[in-house]
Amino acid sequence: MEDHLAILERKSISLIREAKAQFQNIGCLWSTGKDSTAVVWLCKKAFFGKIPFPVIHIDTGYKFPEIYEFRDRIAKEWKLDLIVAQNKEALKNGMSPEKGKLECCTQLKTEPLKNLIKERGFDALILAIRRDEHGIRAKERYFSPRDEEFRWKYTEQPAEMWDLYVKPSEDFSHMRVHPILHWTELDVWEYVKREKLPVNPLYFAKDGKRYRSLGCMPCTVPIPSTASTIDEIVEELKTTKIPERAGRAQDKERAYMMQKLRSLGYM
Amino acid sequence: MIILALDALDLNMVKKYDCRNLMQLECGQTDISEFELARTVVLWASFLTGKNMEAKIPVKTQWEFKLGMKETFFQFFKSYEAVDVPAFSLKEKNHAEERRLLKAYFDEQATVEEYDAVVWKNHEENKDDFFSSLGQFDIVMGYFDLADAIGHLSFGIPEKMEKVYAELDKLAGQVASASDDFILVISDHGMKAVGRYGDHSRNGFYSANRKLGLHLPRIMDFYGMIREVARSGTS
Repeated sequence: MEDHLAILERKSISLIREAKAQFQNIGCLWSTGKDSTAVVWLCKKAFFGKIPFPVIHIDTGYKFPEIYEFRDRIAKEWKLDLIVAQNKEALKNGMSPEKGKLECCTQLKTEPLKNLIKERGFDALILAIRRDEHGIRAKERYFSPRDEEFRWKYTEQPAEMWDLYVKPSEDFSHMRVHPILHWTELDVWEYVKREKLPVNPLYFAKDGKRYRSLGCMPCTVPIPSTASTIDEIVEELKTTKIPERAGRAQDKERAYMMQKLRSLGYM
Repeated sequence: MIILALDALDLNMVKKYDCRNLMQLECGQTDISEFELARTVVLWASFLTGKNMEAKIPVKTQWEFKLGMKETFFQFFKSYEAVDVPAFSLKEKNHAEERRLLKAYFDEQATVEEYDAVVWKNHEENKDDFFSSLGQFDIVMGYFDLADAIGHLSFGIPEKMEKVYAELDKLAGQVASASDDFILVISDHGMKAVGRYGDHSRNGFYSANRKLGLHLPRIMDFYGMIREVARSGTS
């Protein structure tokens, strides 16, 4: 009988193959974090070692040095067709989180991705989001259409039954495909352990702290932890009461309000 | 006539903070129970036209929805000014910016302080426009979304809401001392706390500087009354 991880993996691989079959021009987003690295690995397994589409890294210019080192090393080892997208113009003009977190993210993350989609004509992107990350993500579908402004019309999503993933006939710019939507944070780490996947050293505790998710240096904060190996991270996750997005005790109310404000037409 | 249209002004909060200027001579709760959802644009459009506009205004396109002057009670007055009134003269750019930051807050790309700053800035702008119109027209309607916009992200934070209600009470006081006209203060809906956040409630508010003898008026009922004010020339 298949074990838990094998069942998760099988579904993810089938989703990745389904995406490749349904769309002409797909790409996989890779932040180099644990989730997207697992997804890139699943893509490799889905196509027997050679990923038949590009892997995209959005480089804000503010990432940790360890991220760049990890990205370049793994891209070479795994023979990835790596696209690095960056908004050079905004960086040249001095864009930084000090100019406003929102503006910075829009200019350095959203814009280069939008431009890349336009330039390369991607009709589907594979992303490593998971339902257990946030209440609102529990509403996500495996195949989730977005318009040109990246808007997600969550009330208009079709049901996904019997593993049938239906491509909408119109009114979308690209499809987001979420092959590990059904995984948990713990599943990812157990899979990393089982598959002996490379891990960015920032995840391991140093001086009583470790990063539980990786982003840009100025806007990412480590959590208190002593877990300095994958085994210790797995053990920590089995007992921890701190959510993955630590310091966000109001998540439930937050999710409720987001949904309510959407229905009232504010968002 | 002067209409102070205060989004999400809540009867309980007016009483809690003892906002005497907002209460005026007569105050009470409005009845919006017939509406499926307490949506801002729908409720103001219903107030302006005297008709329940819920079915005519889809959620998706509500912010672009615009009434013609002849559909509203402004038609009964020789001259009118409507400052930032939803479904009529909404300052689209200002509100789009507020909504953008509201979304950004939930996407963790903007702080509540960044959002609040824009809301307060827009409030000050409306105050300038509103006060410069007083006395120039037969009817002036000024819309202020401060209680709604701040409340959505901070209704559960008493210090912030106290500041909001103090500001709106001060505003009502300034209007009363600037004019002897008939002053109607009205909200579209009230607000209730969801943790630190605020959700629309049915607890809408009205007050007048004259005795109207109303009991739980529907938000549409004011239309006829405003028309009578225009006809009798007592504005």
